Amino acid sequence: MDGEVRCGENGAPPLRAPAGTVRRHMWLARDVSPVSSDAPLAGGTNVEGEAPVAEETVETDEATITDDAELERTLSLGGGLAIGIGTMIGAGIFVFPGLAAGEAGPAAAGSFAIGAVVALLVALPASELATAMPKSGGGYYFISRGLGALPGAVVGLSLWFGLVFATAFYLVGFGFYAVDTLAEVGVTVGSDLVVPIALVFGVGFTVLNVTGTENAAKLQNGVVALLLSILVVFLTYGGIDALGLVGEPSAPEEFAPFGTVPILTTAALVFTSYLGFAQVATVAGEMKQPGRNLPLAMVGSVLIVGVLYVATVFVATSAFGSGTLASLGETAMVEVGRHYLGTGGAVAIVFGGLLATMSSANASILSTSRAIYAVSRDALLPRYASRINLRYGTPHVALGLAGGPVLVLVATGEVEVLAEVASFLHLVMYGLLCVALVALRRDEPEWYDPDFRVPGYPFVPVLGALASFALVGFMQPLSQVIGVVIMLASAGWYYYYAGDVTLKGKL
Amino acid sequence: MTRVLVPLAVLEGESVSLGLMDLLGTVDVTVLGYHVLPEQTPPDQARLQYEERATEALEDVTQEFRAAGGAADYRLVFTGDRDQTVNRIADETDSRAFTVLGATGEVDRVLVVLTGDVAVDDILAFVTELVGDRAIGVTLFAATRGNDPEGLRERLGSAAERLGAEGIDATTDLATEGGPFEALVTAAAGHDAVVMGERAPSLRSLLFGEESERVASETVGPVLVVRRREQGGDGDEGDSESEGATPADGESEDETDGDDA
Repeated sequence: MDGEVRCGENGAPPLRAPAGTVRRHMWLARDVSPVSSDAPLAGGTNVEGEAPVAEETVETDEATITDDAELERTLSLGGGLAIGIGTMIGAGIFVFPGLAAGEAGPAAAGSFAIGAVVALLVALPASELATAMPKSGGGYYFISRGLGALPGAVVGLSLWFGLVFATAFYLVGFGFYAVDTLAEVGVTVGSDLVVPIALVFGVGFTVLNVTGTENAAKLQNGVVALLLSILVVFLTYGGIDALGLVGEPSAPEEFAPFGTVPILTTAALVFTSYLGFAQVATVAGEMKQPGRNLPLAMVGSVLIVGVLYVATVFVATSAFGSGTLASLGETAMVEVGRHYLGTGGAVAIVFGGLLATMSSANASILSTSRAIYAVSRDALLPRYASRINLRYGTPHVALGLAGGPVLVLVATGEVEVLAEVASFLHLVMYGLLCVALVALRRDEPEWYDPDFRVPGYPFVPVLGALASFALVGFMQPLSQVIGVVIMLASAGWYYYYAGDVTLKGKL
Repeated sequence: MTRVLVPLAVLEGESVSLGLMDLLGTVDVTVLGYHVLPEQTPPDQARLQYEERATEALEDVTQEFRAAGGAADYRLVFTGDRDQTVNRIADETDSRAFTVLGATGEVDRVLVVLTGDVAVDDILAFVTELVGDRAIGVTLFAATRGNDPEGLRERLGSAAERLGAEGIDATTDLATEGGPFEALVTAAAGHDAVVMGERAPSLRSLLFGEESERVASETVGPVLVVRRREQGGDGDEGDSESEGATPADGESEDETDGDDA
């Protein structure tokens, strides 16, 4: 045989994917088309002289193929759904029902429904963008490429903090459940221990993620399956009871005792329960058959948890009056479980709550690390932030930048503010993401070729943007101030650190 | 030309023994440099940091394979799932066999395992091509626990005849005592490499790991696994299988997709 054959001329070379599986994403391909004017090649540099990393890639169903290497896609649809559902379910079902019922009465179910509709209006445009740009980084990536580096930087850095706030929120929720677990086994420690427990586990998750190379993803799938089965049993029984078919008829209560405005403010509060679908987009680069699986995982996880949330709140408010529910606080669901199914029910809910808040916290730490990687790759943060350590092969710097601030926030123990700031920063991203979709569609660049196109364009993305921004308006002033300060700080950082970097249309 | 895939954990310092390189001198080789990542690490992030180092190492190994005789190229993959990657690249390169690395000196004699439900014809065709006109002896081996030893004896006999007709020095070894796996490991003593067929995934392989990998670690030597041909379409991802067998052709990658808008 010809001993001179260079790599790439025999068999299937790196830049050539097997026929038929290529999805026609030849980005910045010099030999395919002249680079269009909206895709500048040079991206500028930051103050340390680092430039964004940009290369030609070919996306197939099974791998991302770059010049010299291939990146295997290993996440299945089930894995994607598990990330979405696993991130979301902890907050919406196990932490919020008591808080929400206190603010909106039985109409809290309506608040969750509103949240689901807003999440859907954003999940659809996000799906289109994700199939057009199936890369790690999620919402940040779409906005920086669709709208430019400044909005990108604001969103990218805010997303980091948004996820940090969300993680802190999940950890505090976990702390409440841990205290309840102790109470359930007969050790009453009171709520003073909530924050210390949350802190210990926050450190634990961060360290585990740096050092652990076991595949927790498979565990996550199992956890989500288990949670779903606990909930289905619980909701089926509770639902039958609430409708008056078995047990004592429950006293009907006025649906919206506090009027309609609290329904909207509650929707803004509980929107944290819907943040997970965007986390699916942060692993877009690792999803098999991204054109099919990304939309299914994002839209599917929102639909599944939305239905579960509404049913849960309905069942919970039927068990007790909303006033009683509110007085039970973060772990009200435990008493709801006890009401319907006795001690067994309470134990099942406590156990589920522990698992769910844990899996939410862990999934968010992982997403945060990916969000940090995405901005550091684009030179908006020092490249050092995406270093991988040699011993474990994990991104220890990014994980530390995720876990460190979380601990500070956990120490505050402010569940509602943590949740709202997380929602605030995510909602800004969602709104801008819809705007980015409209901007890209109005003047489609050559590389823009999504496998999934949003139905009802332009109404869905426009409504999605309006709804996202409107929901921000219903939050507590304190959360709004914190959110705006973080965004301004992000913009300031961009001008100081990476003002020359351009990202629009650059893939 | 027959192609063999050589998966190599390139950043873990794994290397191909000289004996295996010589043994593969009669066939084409694709070196699959891979690096397995924990789920915390996006593959792209690892690529930024390690690509250069990995590419250098792979170019060296590939050069050595060329020096040993056959044509050679390489692929570099960052992955979260080694087996998925090996299967995909083996499909795309249309490789007949893949290796499980092990240490060996010059190869004088190989053990060819014909136990169980394996594609005997494919294995023999591969061995014939691998040995070529070199003076490498072949021991054809099968193990059974008493059921139908005559049938197996016949299988070994006709296989030896077939190899003999190609001018290969072939002997047979039928083990009827003890567990098939232990018998195989015992028989492998005195051989420098093992050739075996790929089995369908089973409960046993799920629990104890791939048989080929267990053989490699027990015998220390390299193992060549002849791949199963695709048996019709009950695969998981359906459409990609039929195309997987066709090596990429020419420059047409940009027009092949009939995707709907």
